[in-house]
Amino acid sequence: MLDTETQRSRGMRDLLPGEMDRVRAVEHAFAVACRAWGYREVRTPVIEPLHLFTSAGTLSPQTLDRVYSFLDWDGWSGERVVLRPDSTIPAARLYSGRLDGGRIAKLFYRQNVFRFGEDGSSREEWQCGAELIGDTGGTGDVDLIALALAALEGMKLEPAVRLSHAGIVRAVLGAAGMTPDEQARAYDRLLDGDEGVIDDVESRLPQLNAPLRLLFEVDGEGAAYIENVRSGLAGSVPALVPALDELALVVKTLEAMGARPSIHAALARSFEYYSGIVMEFDAAGRRVGAGGRYDGLVELVGGKRVPASGFALYVDPLVELMPEPDWPPRAEVRLAVVAASEAPEALAAAQAAAVQLRSARIHAEAVEGADTAPTHRLTCAADSPRYRLDGPNGEQTFDRIDDVARALEAS
Amino acid sequence: VIRVALPTGDLRRDTAALLDAAGLPIPDYAGGSRALRFPMLDGGATARVFREKDIPVQVALGNYDVGVCGLTWVEELTQRFPNHDVVRLCDLGYGSHGLWLAAAGDEAQASVRVVSEYPNIAETLARRLRLSRYRVFPVWGAAEAYPPEDADLVLISAQDAAGVEAHGLRPVARVFPGSAWLIANRRSMAAKDLSALLGPLLAHGRMPSRAPSVTPPDALTLRMAGEPPPRERLRLALPDGHAQSHTVAALQAAGVRVYGYEEGTVVRRPQIDVDGVEVKVVRPQDMPQHVAIGHFDLAITGRDWLFDHLVQFPSSPVLEVVDLGRSRYGLAAIVKDVPANTVAGAVEWWRSRSPAPIRVASEYPNIADHFARERQLGHYSVIPIAGASEGFVPEDAEILIEGIDTGSSVRANKLTVLDRFYESTNCVIANRRRPEGALGARLDAVVERLRSGAATPAAVQGG
Repeated sequence: MLDTETQRSRGMRDLLPGEMDRVRAVEHAFAVACRAWGYREVRTPVIEPLHLFTSAGTLSPQTLDRVYSFLDWDGWSGERVVLRPDSTIPAARLYSGRLDGGRIAKLFYRQNVFRFGEDGSSREEWQCGAELIGDTGGTGDVDLIALALAALEGMKLEPAVRLSHAGIVRAVLGAAGMTPDEQARAYDRLLDGDEGVIDDVESRLPQLNAPLRLLFEVDGEGAAYIENVRSGLAGSVPALVPALDELALVVKTLEAMGARPSIHAALARSFEYYSGIVMEFDAAGRRVGAGGRYDGLVELVGGKRVPASGFALYVDPLVELMPEPDWPPRAEVRLAVVAASEAPEALAAAQAAAVQLRSARIHAEAVEGADTAPTHRLTCAADSPRYRLDGPNGEQTFDRIDDVARALEAS
Repeated sequence: VIRVALPTGDLRRDTAALLDAAGLPIPDYAGGSRALRFPMLDGGATARVFREKDIPVQVALGNYDVGVCGLTWVEELTQRFPNHDVVRLCDLGYGSHGLWLAAAGDEAQASVRVVSEYPNIAETLARRLRLSRYRVFPVWGAAEAYPPEDADLVLISAQDAAGVEAHGLRPVARVFPGSAWLIANRRSMAAKDLSALLGPLLAHGRMPSRAPSVTPPDALTLRMAGEPPPRERLRLALPDGHAQSHTVAALQAAGVRVYGYEEGTVVRRPQIDVDGVEVKVVRPQDMPQHVAIGHFDLAITGRDWLFDHLVQFPSSPVLEVVDLGRSRYGLAAIVKDVPANTVAGAVEWWRSRSPAPIRVASEYPNIADHFARERQLGHYSVIPIAGASEGFVPEDAEILIEGIDTGSSVRANKLTVLDRFYESTNCVIANRRRPEGALGARLDAVVERLRSGAATPAAVQGG
């Protein structure tokens, strides 16, 4: 469906040069942080086979209802393809097919995902994500969270981190006798604020010696909350213990690093593929990223069972929140190079001058655009004086381009 | 003028009775007239007859304000396009049937094969059932004929479980309760006075508390089948419907007898008098895909359907191996009341009148899309249709891509053929990957016999 005014497909956006500068600034800050942490950049295809996302434990049917799937030239086989609705699953596929040598892979990406949203909302989202695949234990989770916080701080934001553990809800709902499918549905109802699900679970757990609302209605502020939950519920739901232990390790480490994570029983929606720590990142009161541990995912997409975790930062809100970026840097001296006449010799002189000045690392534009905003103007002729420089210091004339370059450097 | 889309086919009699009871009688519609348009409400409304499947699409597009059709077709549209503009108004209380998920056995291939006339609902079910790998094969009909050799599951319409069992299938679950519904276009409901029509019709409908939704079974218990043994029998697909008489003639000319495939009979698995060959009768439209994936070694279909398949899937391994020379007709771009005699001239005329997309209606949606690209129509939309095609232009589409033979129907409907761009005859198709060994030799022998009976000397040897 076309937006008739812009001739764009519904849910798709154009980015103008200024917006694109901000996008690149976000991506640049992210890449700088990732490289400092030792991550290497990858890119996965926009089109993937649909079945990569349909296995139980990958994307939920509700998410799959909103993907762009279609039959391509090879669709006679009956297999559909899909515009990448998620980047973690392709990264897991890439690892299982190309990198799985038992070594720890530290990968980052800057790419888009496609999902149908409500009417008018964006259907193409750009994400900056990092995946840590291999047996790293709690250290890996802490390292990823530290990376996300550093990347956000590199964007001049003050991030907050919210943590959960998929095992908490899974332990409680499992103890209540729910199947994995019922757990996924109940989890979504919890996130939707449907309190009836808490009553339903409590009615199935007569052995509880503390109210479940302690878990679902109180947002904790650190390790102390985890110990409160442990004392109240671990006796009646023993399966909570490993999840609380893992969460406590990460929270205490982050607290020792000076971070103040908040703790929640239920967090990100992608419940099914998360198996451990789940994380969300906020800045200026907006959600700007999420991730978690997904130890079963690499196996689900055809690899070995390899522990893994990752996160993605959302470019759209970051572009809005990031203060005026200083990247890409704007040259202090911006030179417009023009020919003194339409004569071929003068035009050639201007082009040659621009090339020589650029090789001297001077920003020189031989065609002036709407955004050029030149600080200086160099008029080039075939005859002496060959160069006339107009700038804040007035008018100067030269016969040698080296002298022009020196004058500009001096300015 | 209120525009109403009414069904032909199974729902026609009950819909005519409803209109009668509501004080909106259309005697010619009730009497089975072949006309496609009927005046209503003393000229305040006009009714157009469609195949049931086309009605939700036409109402969603806004070509019609109100429609009557089976809710299953509305749901089929909804599963693919949840934001469409169809509002479900009320259950009309007739045409009751269900959509049933059914299997022949309790085994499935690792990539579960689902065959259905309702591919979008089938996709939804596959996702809801968390099938880790599946393939949905849309078919024009005869879905029940596919299991067990050519499908693990089918999604078919049936009155009840006994109706499913009558096809030799095991009902797994009824996943959607269908019946005739009154539907309307959302924008028409919002801004156009439809009360003269809706008032009487709603008074005769049943308002359910909630429109039904697709409900998958709780679980699907299918064992994963092992690798099937190599086939020893050659599999030949023969067409039903209009193409059957031409195929019977081609087989007779080749000296091949197929018992149970006489003109006017539909037996899905007739017997052929060629050793080592088994036959299945399905829709000719669906054959190329099933030859491509290896369900059939050979099929007799129309070259038009092969063309439609190949423009959608250019990498398909299907090719024509014999031109049987019968069932000859052309595919053409047809218009009505357009002052132009070329496609380019017509496009220029439409563009001068409206910036809206040029609507190309066809039973061959992939060929229509191909045609629109080839003829550089610019901003266009393809409207897939199931039949009653001659009534589409100019009201419901600018161009109709349609098969024509003598042109008598074109003349009778005062239509204009702008461009006859493709010639079709019936043909034998096969997979580019010829089977090896005895099966390959058997295929060659059958092809040779069919070639010997071809109606023209222009039999084509595939590469």
